[in-house]
Amino acid sequence: MVRTSNIFKSCFTGLFKHSSNKNYFLENNNFEVRKIEGRIIEAYIGEYASGKSENAINRAVELREQGRKVTLVDLDLVEPFYTLRPLKKQLEELGINVIAWETRETMGLGEAGSILKPEMKWVLRREYDIILDIGYGVEGAKTFNLIEGAADNKELKIFAVVNTSRPMTASVEDIVEYVERLGKVDGLINNTHLGDETDWDIIEEGAEIISEVSKELDIPVIYTAADEKLKDMGIATDKQGIPVKYIHRYMPHSFW
Amino acid sequence: MSVATPQMPQCWRRETKAHKFCPGCGHGLVLKALGEAIDELGIQDKIVFGCDIGCSLLAWDFFNVDTVQTHHGRTTPVITGIKRANEDVIGIAYMGDGGGYAIGSQHLVNAASRNEKITVILVNNTNYGMTGGQMAPTTLPDQKTETSPYGRDVKDTGNPTQGPEMVAAITPESAYVARGTVSNVRQLKKYIKRALENQISGNGFSFVEALSGCPTNWRTNAAETWKFIDKAMPEYFKVGEIKVPSEKKEG
Amino acid sequence: MTEKPIQGEKRVFMTGNEVVAWAALAANAEIMYGYPITPQNEIMHYWTRLAPKHGRKFLQTEDEISAGFTTVGGVLAGRRSFTATAGPGNTLMQEALSMAEMMRIPIVQVVTQRGGPSTATVIYSQQEVTMTCFGGNGEGARIVYSTSTHQELYDYTIKAFNTAWKYRFPTHVLGDGYQSKMRESLTMYDPEARGIDMVPTEPYVGNEGTPGVDRDPNHLRNTYNTEDELYDVVTNLMSDWEKYAPEIAEYQEYDVEDADVLIIAHGVVTRAAQAAINELRAQGKKVGHFRPVTLRPIAEEQLRKRVEQAKSVLVVESAYGQLRKILDNALYGLTTPITNFFKPGEGVTADEVVEEVNKLL
Repeated sequence: MVRTSNIFKSCFTGLFKHSSNKNYFLENNNFEVRKIEGRIIEAYIGEYASGKSENAINRAVELREQGRKVTLVDLDLVEPFYTLRPLKKQLEELGINVIAWETRETMGLGEAGSILKPEMKWVLRREYDIILDIGYGVEGAKTFNLIEGAADNKELKIFAVVNTSRPMTASVEDIVEYVERLGKVDGLINNTHLGDETDWDIIEEGAEIISEVSKELDIPVIYTAADEKLKDMGIATDKQGIPVKYIHRYMPHSFW
Repeated sequence: MSVATPQMPQCWRRETKAHKFCPGCGHGLVLKALGEAIDELGIQDKIVFGCDIGCSLLAWDFFNVDTVQTHHGRTTPVITGIKRANEDVIGIAYMGDGGGYAIGSQHLVNAASRNEKITVILVNNTNYGMTGGQMAPTTLPDQKTETSPYGRDVKDTGNPTQGPEMVAAITPESAYVARGTVSNVRQLKKYIKRALENQISGNGFSFVEALSGCPTNWRTNAAETWKFIDKAMPEYFKVGEIKVPSEKKEG
Repeated sequence: MTEKPIQGEKRVFMTGNEVVAWAALAANAEIMYGYPITPQNEIMHYWTRLAPKHGRKFLQTEDEISAGFTTVGGVLAGRRSFTATAGPGNTLMQEALSMAEMMRIPIVQVVTQRGGPSTATVIYSQQEVTMTCFGGNGEGARIVYSTSTHQELYDYTIKAFNTAWKYRFPTHVLGDGYQSKMRESLTMYDPEARGIDMVPTEPYVGNEGTPGVDRDPNHLRNTYNTEDELYDVVTNLMSDWEKYAPEIAEYQEYDVEDADVLIIAHGVVTRAAQAAINELRAQGKKVGHFRPVTLRPIAEEQLRKRVEQAKSVLVVESAYGQLRKILDNALYGLTTPITNFFKPGEGVTADEVVEEVNKLL
């Protein structure tokens, strides 16, 4: 036995190297999801590990690229240590204002440190665009209770991110049930993938399922997300007619 | 133009303020009541403050007193150990409902039974806050938490624990037991002060539970948070003094 | 009869904690006992959501001492039972695990290592190796699998139930906080669909029939009266363990045949080790990796063979010598020089391993 099948990729190589490659800005896909006057305030919610953070970060970077001022907020209340925190510096260097706990700030004692930063509570009072990354939890969208003014805010758009490769949100019935429990949802995002082994078939399968959900709930699908590595195929809309948005993967750099 | 600073207890440590508790957390109020009680009794130099694992550990550098952060549920025995070795110390064991009524319950029961001359202050917010909102012994019936996603079924997991009542039942007459609430900080301070006096006079065990809020894990806005503390919780947890050594109780 | 939670197989994307919950479901585990402690909470969160749909049970106990003993109880009742914990919680479970060792009770414990000792960090380490392998007041008659990928977490969680019930020793799946929270894809499957028969369980107590009438009563104990009695009990226990050790021990080898430098690492550090080897081999350097998959019993014979062949050994772990101690025990008598790369509580990157290996070449 010389070598086992090479399932061990260089996951860990270069993680501590600072990514200074500027080419990871998205090219504008030349489609406008909506024409917005005024602020863009979007909340990315969804099941555990559905891809909310990745999509939220990409959106913040996209807006920054357009010359807009953006605040990105990490509202993962059940495991606050594992999402945006490690990427904070990297994103701040791009000019994005990030509200997340920094390692050294959070006491470091015992379990996970405190969970909600005061700035998060009052974030809607800030000027300019705001992107919220809302962590999972049994009460789902009730997290909005913790943000002052969220209930009445007319500009706030709530997007549910779904990855149909995850067993609890794999079928139309399960997804419909899940989304219904989330309260008000303005859009769905097809984030179906299998990590590094994602191919178009998988993404299209997800698109089909989510389009069904969209019809049933009468909620539009905003876009289908695809890793920018798949960009070469030049696909701009999936087989359901949903626009494709290519995203850069920041999250693998978020652990340690 | 000078900026008005809020009135803080003398024994509070300024360098660690603003504190790290979530906005809307009840701990800040309980610790304020405790701080004022310490000031009024003039015992800042004698206090040893132990905190548990959970949100209570964020109080470890809160005061200008000596503190020790222990293991989950082990604050009571550590403070017991300190007090027995050095009786001049005023030992305060500060913990949450998990640290007191779940993993720490055997220590609480035994310290109470032995009438240890320490003061236990337990902050009850009906869930395990720091680890993300799991069920606690004081979770209310049908309340949803991360480990009771369909609501707490009391037929399966029992009713919310009534700690002060239990402590009152197993302690001798010289113990002081009360339950206060963060929605009446003045009353809470009075209870904490009486609890500490019971220790200072060498009388016996003292125990104060404080009903508190956790809007972060309850996912409630300000109005709903107070409603939960004022209306829902007192249905299971009666506020008032439960045991007062040779004195008339206040209800 | 509720339908199977996983039918056939399917490719999915999830975090390590979720994998454990799903694998336990697929293995027909019937009850989980647990207590909150980071970083394994999601195992409970997912189990509590899924269990009622599949007729399984759960209890959040008052602490980990209770979680350990209630799990022992579940096994005594003849049901596949498991628990999960980390750090200080693992310390508390050792009492129950000692009882399981003595009485040959097949409990399954999943450990998601966090920093140590004491409360330390909630994040990651490989510092629970000694405790998981030898933590009780006994000789460590236990089986410990150290996983490095989500696929393995799935495979070995299912396997743990079978190993435990077949050999009747407490069996542990040793993961860590990184594996718990990392997201990757894997194939979930119904064991039956892959020809894996789940080893049947049987009750230790509460069997059919009236004791004394239809059958003998089951009188279980873990206490003995005299020294010579205990001597017999423990030597029998350990000779059984040693008899089965060769069948149970597992290892993995990566480019070891002609390796001058042999890296020894387990668990998630495997990834860094093998990624480093890919880089070094591309430069023509002769490096290999011996990975103990079972830390207990360790594949001693094969390990010794490879260490003897190599010119030097590099031990890499996210602990301060816990793996090294086990290796020293297994490698006694060999003279190949061993260098340590210890990073207690911190992750190890491929770059770091490359650097350390280069120092030895």
